[in-house]
Amino acid sequence: MHIGIDVGGTHTDGVLIKEGRVMAAAKEPTDGDLLTTITSVLRKLTAEAQGHAISSVNLSTTLSTNAIVTGTTEPVAVFAIPGPGIRAENYRIGDPFIVLPGAIDHRGTVTGRLRERDVAPHLAACKAANITAYAVVGKFSTRNPEHELFVADLLRPQAQVISLGHRVAEQLNFGRRVATAYFNSAAWRAFHRFAHALEGALAELGVQTEVNIVKADGGTMPLALAREIPVQSIFSGPAASVMGILAAAPQSEDAIVLDIGGTTTDIALLLDGTPLLERDGITLAGHPTLVRALQVTSIALGGDSVVRFEGGAFRVGPDRLGPCMAAGGPAPALMDAVNVLGYAHYADTERSMAGIRELAMRQGSSVRECARQIVDTAMGILSRAVGEFLALVNSRPVYTIQEILQERRLTPKQVLLIGGPAKALAPLVETALELPALVPPHSPVANAIGACLTRPTQGVVLTVDTARGRFTAPGLGIMKTVPRTYTLEQAVAEARALLSAELTRQGIRAHADDIHVLQAESFNMVENNVTIGRNIRVRCQLRPGVLTTLAA
Amino acid sequence: MLRASHSLGVIFFPAYDWSISPTHPEREERLLYTQDQFREEGVFDIEGIGEYRPLVASPEDIARVHFCFPSVEAVTTHSHHISAGGAIRAAGLVLDKERERAFAIVRPPGHHAMRCVHGSRGFCNINIEAIMVEWIRERMGNVRVAIVDTDCHHGDGTQDIYWHDPDTLFISLHQDGRTLYPGTGFPAECGGPKALGRTINIPLPPRTSDAGYLMAVEGIVKPILDHFKPDIIINSAGQDNHYSDPITNMNFTAQGYARLTELLGPHIAVLEGGYAIKGALPYVNLGIALALAGVDYSAVREPDLDPERIREHQSTLDYIKALCDHLPQVYFEPTQREEVEREGRFFVRRRSIFYDTDGITENQIERLRDCPYCPGWLHVESASDRVPKSLGIHVPIQGCDNCVDEADALFRKAQADSSFAHVQLIDRVRKRIRHAR
Repeated sequence: MHIGIDVGGTHTDGVLIKEGRVMAAAKEPTDGDLLTTITSVLRKLTAEAQGHAISSVNLSTTLSTNAIVTGTTEPVAVFAIPGPGIRAENYRIGDPFIVLPGAIDHRGTVTGRLRERDVAPHLAACKAANITAYAVVGKFSTRNPEHELFVADLLRPQAQVISLGHRVAEQLNFGRRVATAYFNSAAWRAFHRFAHALEGALAELGVQTEVNIVKADGGTMPLALAREIPVQSIFSGPAASVMGILAAAPQSEDAIVLDIGGTTTDIALLLDGTPLLERDGITLAGHPTLVRALQVTSIALGGDSVVRFEGGAFRVGPDRLGPCMAAGGPAPALMDAVNVLGYAHYADTERSMAGIRELAMRQGSSVRECARQIVDTAMGILSRAVGEFLALVNSRPVYTIQEILQERRLTPKQVLLIGGPAKALAPLVETALELPALVPPHSPVANAIGACLTRPTQGVVLTVDTARGRFTAPGLGIMKTVPRTYTLEQAVAEARALLSAELTRQGIRAHADDIHVLQAESFNMVENNVTIGRNIRVRCQLRPGVLTTLAA
Repeated sequence: MLRASHSLGVIFFPAYDWSISPTHPEREERLLYTQDQFREEGVFDIEGIGEYRPLVASPEDIARVHFCFPSVEAVTTHSHHISAGGAIRAAGLVLDKERERAFAIVRPPGHHAMRCVHGSRGFCNINIEAIMVEWIRERMGNVRVAIVDTDCHHGDGTQDIYWHDPDTLFISLHQDGRTLYPGTGFPAECGGPKALGRTINIPLPPRTSDAGYLMAVEGIVKPILDHFKPDIIINSAGQDNHYSDPITNMNFTAQGYARLTELLGPHIAVLEGGYAIKGALPYVNLGIALALAGVDYSAVREPDLDPERIREHQSTLDYIKALCDHLPQVYFEPTQREEVEREGRFFVRRRSIFYDTDGITENQIERLRDCPYCPGWLHVESASDRVPKSLGIHVPIQGCDNCVDEADALFRKAQADSSFAHVQLIDRVRKRIRHAR
């Protein structure tokens, strides 16, 4: 039996799943103490388990996001080692923000020295200010972390947490790595308190099991890892919903996923059935980060989007004045027009009729005609947004001739809908997007199902410079020497092996087939017309996916 | 968050699956570290800077500029179509006002490719700037264009293509041709008889550094550009003036390149040469991109930079000062400096052109109609080790009716003339491209 819980902004959903069947679901308003809400959902679900062993509890939580967005984080001192390039001042975050000398270049070569005496005065100042949370980030630290490690060693006696750039994110992007490491340290203590309390609550309920935390990229990580990199737990809500849809209605082709809520609709895309990820990462409190996330676009359109008649035309949204009229709201909303047209019979349809009739009188048309125009306007907004999103994705830069010539365009074959108004809007969406629309079973708790059934994601990035014999896998903290004869094939095999070993270490079960090689490139390095070695880059990933699909 | 004061589109196409040969300077690795640097610096996180895919230039886009003998397909690979397509994409972004400026960081380069193409010269097969400019004119009509070529090598290909065009100002700054390939680019080369002063060559002494280079830009290039008032400024942004470049002898820096870019303020920059791929390109490209976008570039600096070591001699600065005094005359008071041969109503040039990369020699006789109403139509007889005598006929976009008719008549006549292996017509007035054989 597996438990999945998604802590949303307004509701917390939970499900209990056994062998692909949803045995129980629970819903609680998210208010007051987060842990109380979670415990209450857990209690309901464990009661339904009737003594059967719970083999995993997966949690998608907004905790660290809330801490960051509401500013209830603690002071973090950031040590930046930028070297030449864009001025480090542009990435200022944290207090104090300290810029150190020292530089490492794109190949991982130290091109500027960093000495203890450059760091020492700052150590004393931070200690005097009682700062215990730190982030240390060097430019190109993912190619060679030695400066970050050097500073970390000096900080250790006075630090409770040190987030190192090359450990929080393996991708290139110094400014984003600075922000990611900062947020990781900022959210660290709050997450630890929460994790500790959660373990206590589970023990109290007599549940002894592995606990996983859902990430924004649609995967999970074990709680132990989440304690190290809590920043990866932020904004996992949309990912949980998409993964829930994939558990209920597995896809193998390109598709569009719509999560339609009261005021907004989230749009995600599937490429060959797998959700598309952002190229870099999400933006948090105005700072772009390297926290990988599903690529989701949000539009201000939902069932409660208010309808106005202005300048001879209807406007739908972008705001909400309350629920739709059928549900007792003050003004006609999209859902009321849907009610009038008979696509739904939601709540008090008479109130919907009254609200739309008033608009129709102002426009001088029939109630039905008016409702039709409102719905068409809404579908126009939706299909434009989908079109723009597809155009954006399909114009992503590529870097080889092969990719230009064999252009792979994302071409959706299906629309999957979840959310409150999904069922009612499905036929309209089908017409607007000219694609078959499907509302998967268990749509209302797709988020909790996704949290429950999504499997881990984990990646490995490695670079090898055979001229120097340098091998770096920064995310795993591996730097070692390899012979000059080291090949791309060896690197790919090693990346796979390292990833498998890491997954085993974390207690994650995965097949070798589940590991996908995203990049495997080898470049001749030439100096004075002689090939001195190869620059090899390999990226492997356990892609987002679900452990098991729901029984039909 | 950083914000661009001039919105910028970057077309980054490193062609990771193409090289001239495994150890050739023009190989897969060339833009690898530039891409690393751009990613690590988060260039595309700067508000107002966006990354775009290149287009693929069509055979017609290429044939609008070049006489490719025997054919476009025979002298190009996919890589050339994409690199030209990258430049076209850059132009499209600016023309459509999607971006104020654009930077095509693409390879292979193009500025040594002349009007006639038999193969590869100086790593170039087709002239990506000229293909872009003529693509612009195909859409916009005859706009006034200035091309400032800051590659270390003389842009002899671009010079050749615009030699007779009074509406294209071509300025090349380069290491003195007496000391570097292709051995041309002297002040006396200042445009054909109908476009005198529209070609400006500024040869700089070896080991010129930032002060000397920027002095030439401010003293020669700027006043001419300001006077010419181009609709579009293009920078052929070769980066081999860099002090660490392995195949040249100049001492320019990333800071110098960024300042140069700021001074020129080009609408479009197109990467040309530059082969210090590890120590220069990442920093120079970054400096150029930031300067184009109007973002602070003051901390962009090569790790091994030692300004004292590369500073130019006073004698170099004196020499360039003297150039600044005299060279603007080439533009402001143009006079025929080289003797022009005539055959009746035609100006004639006879030339032998060597294709170093492919080891081909081409011999050509170029005849320009001395027309009182327009810059005149052109025909070129060209033969090489690879292709027997062929004919190319070109009517410029400013061509008069008479020139259009004369060119057409010659084309029809040549079609029946078996002494030409290939006959090609580019009529920019009627937008016609015709290939016979």
